[in-house]
Amino acid sequence: MLKPVALATGSLLLTSAVALAQDRWDGADDLPVNPLACDGAAAAMEPTPYNGGQPTGAPDLSGQQITIVDVPKLVGIGYFAATTLGMQQAAEELGNVDVSTDGPTEANIDDQITVIDNYITQGVNAVLYAANDPVAIAPVLRTALERGIHVVGYDADAEPDAREWFINQAQFNGIAKAMIDSIVAEIGEDGSFAIVTSTFTTPNQARWIAEMQAYAAQCYPALEWLETVEAQEDNILSFNQANTLINKYGDDLQGLLGMTSVATPASAEAVTQAGLCGEVAVVGLATPNAMAPYVNDGCVESVVLWNPVDLGYAAVHVTRALVDGDLEPGDTSVEAGRLGTLQIINGSEVLLGAPFIYTADNINDFDF
Amino acid sequence: MAETNMGPATRSAATGRRRFQFGHEALLLVLLVVSLSVLATQSDVFLTTANLLNQGRLMTEVAIVALPMTMIIVTGGIDLSVGSMLGLSAIVLGYSWQNLGLPLGVACVVAVLTGTAAGFFNGLLVTRTKVPPLIATLATLALFRGLAEGISEARSVRGYPDWFFRLGQGEVLGVPSQLWILLVAIVIAWIVLARTTFGRSLYAIGHNEVAARFSGIAVDRCKLAIYTASGFASGLAGLIFVSRVSTTRSDMGTGLELDVIAAVVLGGTSIFGGVGTIVGTVLGFVLIQLLKNGLALTGVTSDATIVVIGTVLIGSILLTNFIGRRHRGDG
Amino acid sequence: MTAVTETAGGGILPGLRRLVATQEAVLLLALVVLVIVVGTINPRFVSERNVQSVLLGNAYIAVAAIGMSMVIVSGNIDISVGSLIGVLATLSGSLAVSGVPIILCWLIPLVVGAMVTGFMGLLVAYLRIPAIVVSLGMLSILKGGLISITGGDWITDLPEGYHLAQMRPFDIPMPIYFMVFLTIGAAIWMRYSVTGRSIYAVGGNAEAARLSGISRERTIVKVFVIHGVFVGIASVLFATQLSIIQSTVPPNLELTIITASVVGGVSILGGVGTVIGSTFAAVLLAAIGSALIFVNLSPYWLRAVQGILILVTVLADILRRRRMSRRR
Repeated sequence: MLKPVALATGSLLLTSAVALAQDRWDGADDLPVNPLACDGAAAAMEPTPYNGGQPTGAPDLSGQQITIVDVPKLVGIGYFAATTLGMQQAAEELGNVDVSTDGPTEANIDDQITVIDNYITQGVNAVLYAANDPVAIAPVLRTALERGIHVVGYDADAEPDAREWFINQAQFNGIAKAMIDSIVAEIGEDGSFAIVTSTFTTPNQARWIAEMQAYAAQCYPALEWLETVEAQEDNILSFNQANTLINKYGDDLQGLLGMTSVATPASAEAVTQAGLCGEVAVVGLATPNAMAPYVNDGCVESVVLWNPVDLGYAAVHVTRALVDGDLEPGDTSVEAGRLGTLQIINGSEVLLGAPFIYTADNINDFDF
Repeated sequence: MAETNMGPATRSAATGRRRFQFGHEALLLVLLVVSLSVLATQSDVFLTTANLLNQGRLMTEVAIVALPMTMIIVTGGIDLSVGSMLGLSAIVLGYSWQNLGLPLGVACVVAVLTGTAAGFFNGLLVTRTKVPPLIATLATLALFRGLAEGISEARSVRGYPDWFFRLGQGEVLGVPSQLWILLVAIVIAWIVLARTTFGRSLYAIGHNEVAARFSGIAVDRCKLAIYTASGFASGLAGLIFVSRVSTTRSDMGTGLELDVIAAVVLGGTSIFGGVGTIVGTVLGFVLIQLLKNGLALTGVTSDATIVVIGTVLIGSILLTNFIGRRHRGDG
Repeated sequence: MTAVTETAGGGILPGLRRLVATQEAVLLLALVVLVIVVGTINPRFVSERNVQSVLLGNAYIAVAAIGMSMVIVSGNIDISVGSLIGVLATLSGSLAVSGVPIILCWLIPLVVGAMVTGFMGLLVAYLRIPAIVVSLGMLSILKGGLISITGGDWITDLPEGYHLAQMRPFDIPMPIYFMVFLTIGAAIWMRYSVTGRSIYAVGGNAEAARLSGISRERTIVKVFVIHGVFVGIASVLFATQLSIIQSTVPPNLELTIITASVVGGVSILGGVGTVIGSTFAAVLLAAIGSALIFVNLSPYWLRAVQGILILVTVLADILRRRRMSRRR
């Protein structure tokens, strides 16, 4: 009979799979980590010389109308809809900037390159991007610089010499510290938690997790890190994965960390529907509207704020300043409208600020 | 999925088929010329050599994979695993160079061989176990992508030496390097499908596999060859892709299968088998690429562009069916 | 595997043998083995809560796979199903927040779904465009259209009572009822109704079907319309599962649904397969996904193992069928 053979193969596979040692994914991408001090003392920031690129022969358009194209990782998701909103706000405020958003319909490195390529051919004054891959996007950005187009990144960076400036929402180690500190505040220094992320190959998430690992090892050695699971950028899959973790670890699971603006609300939903509010803490990166129901219910205490609206807003202001000559290599700060003065770090990164933690007290102040 | 749907009406005489096919290619050509001229009036950078060559560079991966896909679909089969084979080859390239320490040239060969082996595996599944190609390659789509993920452990490989980028980013005689490879591939594929006994056997298999078998065609060997070719092409495309984007990731080529199939089908190859040409496929991928590019240059966003592509895909097949039916009716 | 000798003598009840020799039985056995093996390693896998989670979180896939199976049995395919679910879920949520009565928010997606797939059915049946081409084009149109219109904004503040999938009559999640009753209903309908049987006829041998007085065209349009209703139901379950709606096209959903159908034993050549098989397969695939986490498989190899398991199930089906035909 055939059936037993097939079944035997199946169970053999399963048992051999069990035998495989479980290596918990730690975001390893072989890049150095740089955890912050446990007490939050600001690390001495070494002044780094400007390490961005320069456009060749960019026309002087200071004060004149400019056209900017924004190419996010993909279009059609809430996060980048919010960055677009911020960009439009800045454009309206400035009055002499025309910004449009166009990007791939899937977070695909190839399609993003094609979109940018088309805009270079078409001719724009500046390109804003959020890179799907820091290395893959670099050649096309360098082409843009060669054609005299200004290049500014936000959300996810490229190789520094392939762009002029990068708007950094928060530094990797800053996010890592905020995430770990928040979860420890709820589950204690010897608590245990699991992570729901997008995919292991997404560079930003990989860096955050690697930094979290390093920070936790340094500051909370007793903290137990159970597992990291992938859930794409998929609402229901994130919900299912969070459920699986809850069911697998039972009482041993005290916290869930969501690494994306999709995974965090879905994890909160899983905890809510399992009736485990107060027993399993949910902390993560998220936008306010998606988290408001759970924070207002008291199921989630604190969320690390993703403020994509401010991010998009800052990106357009920085680009304008760059074109007007108000931002030059070597500067240590830049003016960005309602956000005030932004600090410049790591040579060519504009820092939006320290990660902002929101709670039931202030979450309803935001609307995006 | 399909022999079943092929009523006797479609099994018309060879001449009728040729005319039908010619009709579709002519239609595509008209469509191409019309859209080129319309788009050219809308954007003054569209119809420039630099732009067109650049578009060639961007479409090479899809185009190379579309050639063997045409042959597979001509036999009534399909290969959904091409994107995963591309990803697997790319990962093997990076892994064997960085982790196994092979010289990059050797790693390139190993990568293309891996793609070829993956295609061979598909071929074995299809011919030996008689699993329908759609199902077999749906399963290997998951399997090969999984292997790529497992081998790479989700790490990307970067820092290739400069000479390697000549393939994907360089130029030979003022034309992007990979376009020369594509050109050679097109010529070979055209000769194989249109001018050899092997090519004619593929059409015969697509028309009626049982009859082909009885008339002495080595059906299984033919199928094995084209699925292997598909793996080879995916491996080669993976190599070119890595060289073009300077990095290796396990999610490379995700969704490639749909782009490839769209190009082949737009080119007039019938998913029911038995009908299709390399010329049609070439027109298919050129049309899609230039439509995407031209629309983008005239300020249409990507989301609206894919709506247009979808409509063109359905519309062109619809139109050809009408023309084809009228031809048959008149003749 | 073909070398396995036929040892089963005539002593076994033939009826039982026939029962065991179906793909449904193979899948059920695989599920049992999985539950026993993984349950032994980690008893929490078989806890009531986890069983409910697995069923609840994947019921919409099973429901969509029912419609897909009918389409495949008729000798066609629909690649646009993932995009359609995204569009219909967004539609349902948008209607709900704009104050449309909740019952309509649940029903309108079914109607719109049936219209969209019905249109595809017309193109396939009367204009003879292959279903794979029509649905490939439709995939682009739906996805691009959704992005153009919504831009991907979250839909929040959904009204009280909208969340169908979160209801728990008799302490069992609503999606499980949908999955079970729709599967049984569809299975009976396909087996005993005239239209249901004509789907097999059209998929199995269109010419013979025509000669026996079955209209190929009308049957295909009907199948697509019914498929659209199932997609509509799936999208409502999808939309109401969480308190917020993502208004995007879920990645790779069409592949998951098609995989469930074909692993369930629905032949892509048309004419063969049951919706019970596809539902078992949807559950099995979901259970495998969950089980691999429970047994601490290295996360890097998760997808590869899933791929192997899919391949094994498909092979088992094919080899079983070959044995059956040889025995005859």
